[in-house]
Amino acid sequence: MRRIGLYIHIPFCVKKCNYCDFYSLPHSKEKEELYISALCKHIEKEKHLYDNCEFDTVYIGGGTPSILSKSSVIRLVGAVKKHLNTTQGGEFTIELNPCTITKEKLLTYKELGINRLSIGVQSANDKELKCLGRAHTSKEAFEKFNLARECGFNNISLDVMFSLPNQKISDFQKTLDYVCGFSPEHISAYGLKIEENTPFGKNRDKLSLPSEDEDYDMYMCLCDTLSKNGYEQYEISNFSKRGYRSRHNMKYWLCQEYVGFGPSSHSYFDGVRYYYDANFQKYIDGSSERIMETVNDAETTLADKMDEYVMLRLRLSDGVDEGEFFKAFNKSFLDEYPKLKDFLKNGYVVHQDGHYSFTRRGYFVSNYILSEILH
Amino acid sequence: MNEKQKNIRNFSIIAHIDHGKSTLADRILEYCNAVTKREMEEQLLDNMDLERERGITIKARAVRIDYKHRDGQEYTLNLIDTPGHVDFNYEVSRSLNACEGALLVVDSTQGIEAQTLANAYLAVDCDIEIVPVINKIDLPSADVDRVRGEIEDVIGIVAEDCPAVSAKVGLNIDQVLDAVVEKIPAPKGDETKPLKCLIFDSHYNAYLGVVVYVRVIDGVLRAGDKIKLMNTGAQYDVVEVGYLNAFGLQKAESLSAGEVGYITASIKTVSETRVGDTVTTVENGASEPLQGFKEALPMVFSGIYPADGARYNDLRDALEKLKLNDAALSFEAETSVALGFGFRCGFLGLLHMEIIQERLEREFNLDLITTAPSVIYKIEKTNGEVILVDNPSNYPPTDTIKTAYEPTVKSSIITPTEYVGGIMDLCQDRRGVFKDMKYLDSSRVELHYIMPLNEIVYDFFDALKSRSKGYASLDYELAGYEPSSLVKLDFLLNGEIVDALTFIVHSEKAYARARKIAEKLKDNISRQLFEIPIQAAIGSKVIARETVRALRKDVLAKCYGGDITRKKKLLEKQKEGKKKMRRLGSVEVTPEAFMDVLKLDDSEK
Repeated sequence: MRRIGLYIHIPFCVKKCNYCDFYSLPHSKEKEELYISALCKHIEKEKHLYDNCEFDTVYIGGGTPSILSKSSVIRLVGAVKKHLNTTQGGEFTIELNPCTITKEKLLTYKELGINRLSIGVQSANDKELKCLGRAHTSKEAFEKFNLARECGFNNISLDVMFSLPNQKISDFQKTLDYVCGFSPEHISAYGLKIEENTPFGKNRDKLSLPSEDEDYDMYMCLCDTLSKNGYEQYEISNFSKRGYRSRHNMKYWLCQEYVGFGPSSHSYFDGVRYYYDANFQKYIDGSSERIMETVNDAETTLADKMDEYVMLRLRLSDGVDEGEFFKAFNKSFLDEYPKLKDFLKNGYVVHQDGHYSFTRRGYFVSNYILSEILH
Repeated sequence: MNEKQKNIRNFSIIAHIDHGKSTLADRILEYCNAVTKREMEEQLLDNMDLERERGITIKARAVRIDYKHRDGQEYTLNLIDTPGHVDFNYEVSRSLNACEGALLVVDSTQGIEAQTLANAYLAVDCDIEIVPVINKIDLPSADVDRVRGEIEDVIGIVAEDCPAVSAKVGLNIDQVLDAVVEKIPAPKGDETKPLKCLIFDSHYNAYLGVVVYVRVIDGVLRAGDKIKLMNTGAQYDVVEVGYLNAFGLQKAESLSAGEVGYITASIKTVSETRVGDTVTTVENGASEPLQGFKEALPMVFSGIYPADGARYNDLRDALEKLKLNDAALSFEAETSVALGFGFRCGFLGLLHMEIIQERLEREFNLDLITTAPSVIYKIEKTNGEVILVDNPSNYPPTDTIKTAYEPTVKSSIITPTEYVGGIMDLCQDRRGVFKDMKYLDSSRVELHYIMPLNEIVYDFFDALKSRSKGYASLDYELAGYEPSSLVKLDFLLNGEIVDALTFIVHSEKAYARARKIAEKLKDNISRQLFEIPIQAAIGSKVIARETVRALRKDVLAKCYGGDITRKKKLLEKQKEGKKKMRRLGSVEVTPEAFMDVLKLDDSEK
């Protein structure tokens, strides 16, 4: 049986955050109805493609999936389970925005077999939350976290952000301490990146952003603090307690297969990468087309495949395993990427037990290094 | 003088840039029905795109026009076009020597400019008749009387009854033709004497080989003649003779004294047929060549490198092709540690350099890296040897130099009076030695300075324009070598000298330039994983330093929802950028960074 991942995109938000450039729309009850119907239809229409597949991870992301009403979630998960072969007890994640969480919804998730929550906490500082345009306070976020625990969730991930406008390293340290105090199983931490076409992007000049050095120090502080608190850094931005890596996200980095539903969702299936246009109307009309990013497996060159493999694996603390690389491509890793040696000398990359991986310092300049070593 | 000769008029049009030379030429052709409007590509004589765009004529051409004058007689007018810029003074003077007269076009809204004067003086030197033509009288700001006065006062020629025209709208073109016939003398010359032709231009044609444009001074030239070029000694068999009209090359039986036309003789490159050389027959040839022949001597040098090192051969092919048609262009292979394989090219002047660079980029689709323009220094060494240095990297160590000499130019700047102060400051700053100042009229001044050419090749023209809101005009000619206190300024990245950034500079200006360029380097070098010291040094003495700090952050943390492609594209873009980088030891620099650093446009304003 082919084990693959399932991603479902929910393109609604209570309010768009100032930094966010993912595809989402203002929410309404009517749009939600239409959208859930379209998703269910879409899944049913395509189910035959996945006859021989088993979905061992499901991830409902957004947008804000927790904005969906109880009945919508029931319909959606019902359709998934009806049409697709999902693994009993497989990882099943939903993303939550604290301001939309209710006890009723949490209990529904539980009943439906959703067993992992990802909560966008972002900061323990209300000024920072306000600046980011988040519609919740830090107190609310952690109350909701406790509520989730009460409802029996024992695999919860919290998202935090750093390098925020006016943020000092001591501010970020407070957020980290606060988050660790709740002892979530998993933490994702992203440095703020200013994207074009966001409120932040348009007011870039007015933002007082931390310097590169402060940014670097915050990242080191992040890695140190979480390590001290028993979290393993298994990816550039992801940390977990033992046994709690995000299995769904791991598929992205291990070049494993996943299929997405919903506008702007991405898929990698049968050696082809494609996505659905970020167009809501088209999607509910059922006229959304797959936009191909790679035409077919055969036309992707070996060098491209190796580059993709290396680019993704090096995000992981496990890095590239020489033996596995040889098995996958019948080539020696170092022969293909000889420039990597320069970075070994300088302490940006380490070689341990047959694995090549970035050090913390290396992670933080990984684009620079990748652009040097890739074909 | 025979009848045929009596009705020939050989003339040129000379003018300051943009005063309407090419437009007037078009109108003359049109008026004489040498070409119909429909057939005429606008500004026919300028037949290179680049020329048309810049409004300047680079290569001279000669067109024969049949004209019936009001006296009822048929005349043959040979219009010899001239390049309109100071860099091509020698070519202009040879073209003028092929004529008996010149139309001096002056814009009635602008008056006399630096090149108006330079061209007028050239014509005076050639001892030919100057016929002023006042142009652009259709414009509201035209002031014909003022300009007439200026021409009489400043140049000292009668302008009282000269034609006032609008070439653009075709007004009074008949008066211009009357003046050509009536004021410009017919050519002298003797058909029976040994052959003497002046070469005033040549161009390469893929079918005919080099087409040589000549003015026959004495004798008769026919196809089949064995000819000799008197200065180079080269001999050829004439394949064809003829003349150029608006429709192209027209074969003829012969060309005789007073006539203007072309020769083809299976000549392979234009550099064999130097402008100013004398053509004669091998048998019974002339004993003395015509006066005034000069080798094309480059004054300005620059290293030209392909931005993509793999295109070195393309660059060489392109230069060879340009050279086919440009005897003044010189180039030889050169290697720079910083820039790889390229060519050191010599140009007549700055404009010539710009034109060549632009043609390489446009016509041959090459991305170039060019080093800062340099001049030829003359160095007298302590061991008595005298060397010429056209590449700053080859400048000898100070302790081996007895005296260094740099080329100077006599520069003439014409400007509205309100900008005189700023321009004098600029000239002072550029080590100019003031000679004199003349009022052309109450509102305009002509300034004379002796200046080091080295200072002019660095963006002087741009600085002049910006200080005069574009009104000042410049002309210069070489004025010999002067002893000077020069130093070689090196730049080091991470402790290694970058040869392409070495400058020769006057010792008093070394510190300022060192600081400026070090700063520019700092701003332009992208950060790398280690700290990069930038140093400016004279010999082993460091006179300025900056540091490019180490890169600490370059990461895309988010890889959301399986959107792998976004990250891949980002990396690919970054990789593309990397590929273009030049590696200088351990430091990588983009070609753009080089160009930005070498652009000194704001360095000393």
